[in-house]
Amino acid sequence: MLRTGISGIDEMLGGGIPGESKVLVSMEPGVDGGLFMATTLVDALSRDRTCLVVIPTSTRDAFREEILSTKGVDIHTRPDRIITLDSRTREDIRKNIRDHSQRLAEWKRVICSACTENNVDVAFIYFDLFYEDFGLDGALSVLEMTGVDKKPVVVVEHLNLEGDTFIEDLASAGLFDLVFSIKASYTGVPFFNFLTVEHISWTQLPRRSVPYLISDGTIRLYIPKIIVTGPPASGKTTFVNNASEYGISTDRNDFRGSSTTVAMDLGWVHLKGFDISIYGTPGKPRFDPILPQLFKCAMGAVLIIDVTRPETLDRARQLLTMIQQALLPVVLVANKSDLPYTLGKEEIRRILNLPEDTIITFISATRSSDVSCVVEDLVEQIIMFPY
Amino acid sequence: MYIYKSGIKVIDDALGGLESGTNILILVPSLSSGDRIGYTISKPKNGEFSIILSTDQPSADIEETLGLTPFQRTHTGIIDTVTKLMSPEAADSVRVKYVPSASDLTGIGIKFTRMVEEIFRGDFSEDELEIFPPPIRFYINSLSTLLMYRRVEVLYQFLHVITTKLKKMEALGVYVLNKESFDERTLSLMKQLMNVVIDVKKDSNQEFLSINGLSAITPDWIAYQFEDGNLVMK
Ligand SMILES: Nc1nc2c(ncn2[C@@H]2O[C@H](COP(=O)(O)OP(=O)(O)OP(=O)(O)O)[C@@H](O)[C@H]2O)c(=O)[nH]1
Ligand SMILES: [Mg+2]
Repeated sequence: MLRTGISGIDEMLGGGIPGESKVLVSMEPGVDGGLFMATTLVDALSRDRTCLVVIPTSTRDAFREEILSTKGVDIHTRPDRIITLDSRTREDIRKNIRDHSQRLAEWKRVICSACTENNVDVAFIYFDLFYEDFGLDGALSVLEMTGVDKKPVVVVEHLNLEGDTFIEDLASAGLFDLVFSIKASYTGVPFFNFLTVEHISWTQLPRRSVPYLISDGTIRLYIPKIIVTGPPASGKTTFVNNASEYGISTDRNDFRGSSTTVAMDLGWVHLKGFDISIYGTPGKPRFDPILPQLFKCAMGAVLIIDVTRPETLDRARQLLTMIQQALLPVVLVANKSDLPYTLGKEEIRRILNLPEDTIITFISATRSSDVSCVVEDLVEQIIMFPY
Repeated sequence: MYIYKSGIKVIDDALGGLESGTNILILVPSLSSGDRIGYTISKPKNGEFSIILSTDQPSADIEETLGLTPFQRTHTGIIDTVTKLMSPEAADSVRVKYVPSASDLTGIGIKFTRMVEEIFRGDFSEDELEIFPPPIRFYINSLSTLLMYRRVEVLYQFLHVITTKLKKMEALGVYVLNKESFDERTLSLMKQLMNVVIDVKKDSNQEFLSINGLSAITPDWIAYQFEDGNLVMK
C-alpha cells in the first residue's frame, strides 16, 4: 500500500493505494492542488520508498526548492531514493531526436531504465507536456511502463484544460485505478477548493466531493457543516460543546431560569483527518423559520432525542423529515441514557419511521467520548453517502 | 460595478475607465514601448492591487524599471518565471512568487491563486481592504513567451479559464502580445478571448495606438509617447 499522506483521504481509500496502481490527480487551472502529489511524494520518501519524479516543466533543483518551501522537507537528503527526469531530459530528447514517435520511444526507454535500474517503487509523472508533445494516446502509453519488471505505482498530475467530460471519459476508460479531480468554485470567498473521487477500482466508494483547506503546507479535508438538531432540551448544546475543541453557544436564560438556544451553537473539531464545523440548531419550534438556513450546505445531520421523554418524539419526527428533505446522511442519538428510561431501539425506529440502515446510538452527551463516537460515525456516513 | 482607471486619457475621458471583468489585449510590434502600455494600465490605484506575470524579466529588474510609488510597491505582486532558471533556491514571498519555467502553466495558475487569496484575505499588504471584492489588475507580460513554450490551442484553453476567473473576480486582465511573431490564426484566437484590443504601430520615430472594442471610442490611430512614466497622447 502506498499512502497518499493526506489524512482523511487514506481513510477514504481504505488505507491507501494498492501496489501497481495508476493514479490520476487532475487539476483545474489555478487550483492550488500541487500539494497532493507533493504530499504523497514526501510521505513515500519518509517510508523509504524509492521514487522517480518526471517533471518536464521544471528542473531538479527548482522542484526540490518548491517542495522545501511548501512542505518544509528536503527530498534530496537520501539521493539514492529519488531520481529526477526534468526539463533537461526533455531538451536533450528534443535536441537529439527529430522524429516524433522516436522521441516518445526515447522517453519510454529513459523512464523504463530509470525504474529498472533503481528499483523504483513509485513514479510521479507530470503529464502536462507529455500530453502536449505526444497527444493523449501517446502520453498515456508512457504510463504503461512496458518493459519494467517490478511495476511501480504511477501517480500522474494533470492540468485539465478540457473540462469535466474529459475526466469522466478518462475515469470510465479504466486506464486508472484511482482518479481524483481538484477544482475550485468561486463563491463569496474566492477559490473554495474541493477534491472529488471520480473513480476508484479497488473498493466501493460513491463519487464524492470533499472541500479542503491548505494550512502550513498541509492539506486538510474540511466538512463545512454538520447539523445537530432535535426537540427542545434534548441536549444539542451539550452535544456540540462536548464535541468541540473550541465552540460558542447563544444560550439565553428563560423566565424559569433554565437556558435555551436562541440562534445556534457552533463548534469545531478535527476528527479522522477532517476539519469539521458543527452547528447546533435551536430546539423550540418558534425558531423553525431559521432552520432551512442552518440546513443549507450541511453535509450531514445528528438528530438528538431525549430517551427520558418519549412525548418529544413527534417533534423529532418533524425534524427528521426536514433532514430527509435536505437529502442528508443522518445518525440518531438517544441521549441522556445515564438517566432511567424505558424507550428501546425498535420503539424509536418505529415511532420515527426510521430507515433500517440509520444508526441509533444510546449516549450521554455530557461525556465527550460518547459524543466523539457519534461524530465519527457520521463522518463515516458522509464519506460513504451518495449525494 | 467597479471601474478601473486605465491611465489612457481617451478611455478615461470617454468612459471613466474600464469596467471590471474587462480583458485587454495589447498587440505590439517588435522593439516598441508597447509593454509599457500594459504597465501603465496595470498600475494599482488607491484600494487596488496588481499582479504581474513576468515571463521575460526577472522580478528584481521589473521592480527597478517600474518606478513604483511606495503605495504601488506594496500593492503589486509579481509572478516570476525567469529567476528560477538561474537561481533555483529563490524562495516565494508575499509579493514575489516563482514558477520554474514559463512552460509550467500549472505552477502559474497555482501561484496566481495563492496571490489572489492573500489579497482577498487581507494578508498581502498592511492596509485594510478598502473595497470588496478587492480590485485586482492582472498583467501578463507576455503572451509571446508563453506561446513559445506552449501550443496556441493549449494556451487558448488556459487563458479561457483565467479570463473567466478574472471576470468572476471583477478583476481586470491585461495581456501583451508581439503581433509580428505569430500567424493570423494565433492572433485571432487570442483576440477571441478579449473584450478590448489595443493595437500599436510604429512609424520611424513615432508610436501610435488604436483602441478597438469600446463602443464610445472610434479606433483611430493616436500618436502617443511616455513622459515621466505617464502615457501621453499627442
Ligand atoms: N443527565 C443528563 N442530562 C443532560 C444530558 N445532556 C444534556 N443534559 C441536560 O439537559 C438540559 C438541556 O440540555 P441542552 O444541551 O441545553 O439542550 P438543547 O437541546 O440545546 O436545548 P434547547 O437549545 O433549549 O433546545 C441541560 O440541563 C443539560 O445539562 C445527558 O446526557 N444526561
Ligand atoms: Mg441549545
